[in-house]
Amino acid sequence: MRNRTKGLAAAVFALGTTLAVSPAVAQTAQQLEAADQNPNDWLSYHGSYKDYDFSGLDQINTNNVKDLQVAWTHFPGRTTRGLQSMPLAMDGVLYYSGSYSRVFALDGATGKVLWTYFPQLDDELVARQTHSPYNRGMAMGDGRLYIGTVDGRLIALDTKTGKPVWDTKLENSEKLTVGFTGAPLFVRGKVIIGSQGGEWPARGPIFGVDAASGKKLWEFYTVGGTDEAKKTWGNDTWRTGGGGGWMPGTYDTATNTVWWGTANPAPLYDWSGADWKTAGARPGDNLYTSSVIALDPDTGKLKFYHQELPHDAWDFDSALGELVQIDRDGHQYMVHPNKGGFIFVYDRNDGKIANVWPISKNINFVKSIDPHTGELIGRRDFTAGPVQGEPLCPAIMGGVSWNSGAYSPKTGLYYKVANEWCITLTVQKTTPVTEPQVQLNIGAEFKGVPPPDGPMRGHLDARDPISGQVKWQVNFPQPPLSSVLATAGNLVFVPDAAGITHAYNAETGQELWSHNDGLGHVGGIISYAAGGKQYIAVPTGWGSLVGDDYGTWFGEPFKSMPKDAGALIVYSLPSH
Amino acid sequence: MDRSRALILILGAAFVLAASTGWPARADTAAAGDANRGEELFASNGCGWCHANAGRTAGKGPQLAGTARDDGFIKFRITHGKEGAMPAFGGALKDAQVADLIAYIRSLKGQ
Repeated sequence: MRNRTKGLAAAVFALGTTLAVSPAVAQTAQQLEAADQNPNDWLSYHGSYKDYDFSGLDQINTNNVKDLQVAWTHFPGRTTRGLQSMPLAMDGVLYYSGSYSRVFALDGATGKVLWTYFPQLDDELVARQTHSPYNRGMAMGDGRLYIGTVDGRLIALDTKTGKPVWDTKLENSEKLTVGFTGAPLFVRGKVIIGSQGGEWPARGPIFGVDAASGKKLWEFYTVGGTDEAKKTWGNDTWRTGGGGGWMPGTYDTATNTVWWGTANPAPLYDWSGADWKTAGARPGDNLYTSSVIALDPDTGKLKFYHQELPHDAWDFDSALGELVQIDRDGHQYMVHPNKGGFIFVYDRNDGKIANVWPISKNINFVKSIDPHTGELIGRRDFTAGPVQGEPLCPAIMGGVSWNSGAYSPKTGLYYKVANEWCITLTVQKTTPVTEPQVQLNIGAEFKGVPPPDGPMRGHLDARDPISGQVKWQVNFPQPPLSSVLATAGNLVFVPDAAGITHAYNAETGQELWSHNDGLGHVGGIISYAAGGKQYIAVPTGWGSLVGDDYGTWFGEPFKSMPKDAGALIVYSLPSH
Repeated sequence: MDRSRALILILGAAFVLAASTGWPARADTAAAGDANRGEELFASNGCGWCHANAGRTAGKGPQLAGTARDDGFIKFRITHGKEGAMPAFGGALKDAQVADLIAYIRSLKGQ
């Protein structure tokens, strides 16, 4: 085709597309910002920007949940490392992703496959990765679905057809060894996604991309992302600092602010001892690792931040937690769990600390955190060699992990899984390896051990999110690794590690229903409506990195549990 | 043929046999690694992430101390990985480094 004709055709096409898309743009932005008032759909990772992991549907409730049964099942196949994703739902269609960023669109009432999209990944790179090839979910907006890949790309698919609209390579994953496993966040015509990082010695970028064209708009380095931040890394160690933002942040619509949790620095463990400001592997506070950061979504510029763990020496990311927006008594709060087992409560307008409370029982990496200032009190810093005295608690697996809690605006309670486990460790001096590819920089050898107060275990807590006061608790012999769901039917759903999905009375914690899904759970859980009927969708399938040790620690069913199998199991009430 | 020629033939055949098969068995010095260098490589390449207690305890990955696997298997596993379980280090580590890691593994005592 001659250039002039091509240009004319392109112009006509662009005009046509703009006209066709414009009405949907405004509508989708409004939909997302009011998602918590639309119970039929689940439009973003945590259900809405409020990060409640809450469904407003109450067709399934405390009176009838005992009759809940399987409506349909879907097997995605190639379920290496299990099914770790949070599905999405809109207008009775369920969308979910499996390992290798395979995407499925299914009829929400019947499970019939509407379309699929399987991207071609760099298989040679995938073979060199550890935190791979699982995918934790997608974003949706402006008529497109957005998904990251472990080989460093962000892909947009047409929501109706599954056809790729754009496919942008954001990271040199071949060299950095990491890419994207977390869901992106759609914000007013932009898609934001955070890189894996942490123990991988690079700089952990967060990217802002134009949702229509796929063009990269901005990049924020969580490691040394400003001149001020670079100064907090002695000996230029920001070059191999780690960081990242591997789970989705959220959006405060009132202030046009994106909040994001950042990952830990590398190496995970330092040999500095008490002299961490001036000596050791990475002297200084190490900004902006293990922090919550507030960014302008249009420019990626930093508005404010709070570093939850200055000079994190324990692998206690801030990246993994939900950012729960709660308004109470005239205050606008942001509630955020840190991997060390503390829940941070912020003033949403400026990031100032409102409260800090512990959810895990076994914590000794600090004596406490000041609830007024967030200051770490009695921190445990190590020198090279075997760590003496008590095992380190919580373990590297976290006092909490990346599985999301839920908040019910009906009960006012925050439902969150906490873990009880510790490690013994020997700190080792390491040099970051970046050639020919970046390798994990851990800085210790370690082994999981039970906590001082009893066996390794987990517990689901129902607590006041601001004060931390306990309402009820349910114990689990193994820490559950799935996200939980709260509903307006006054229910809390918890898919556990051994394979059982439980439903509890949200007010009392009484178990009202359970079902054995046959495989452990390491993914999300949502509720949606299709054809006027409520469904609960439970991604089922085991194999996450944390769960890899369960066979050693807990025996069966984990010893024999496959790590490459999985299914989406969808429940509903019987038809009458 | 006379005895001296037969002897030369026999010795020659034995030499050829030994050269081609390594018989009689002797240590393959080209493959012998350094356990101390192996320990450093193990730490700086993140092997302890999955091989708990520096390989002395089973965890995400199997216990390496006292493994019954032979050198050939271990080398293959390190260089090729195992889908969904272990990454492939073949592009990142030289043969000599893999030999060092094997020497380190052989030096481990379990716990």
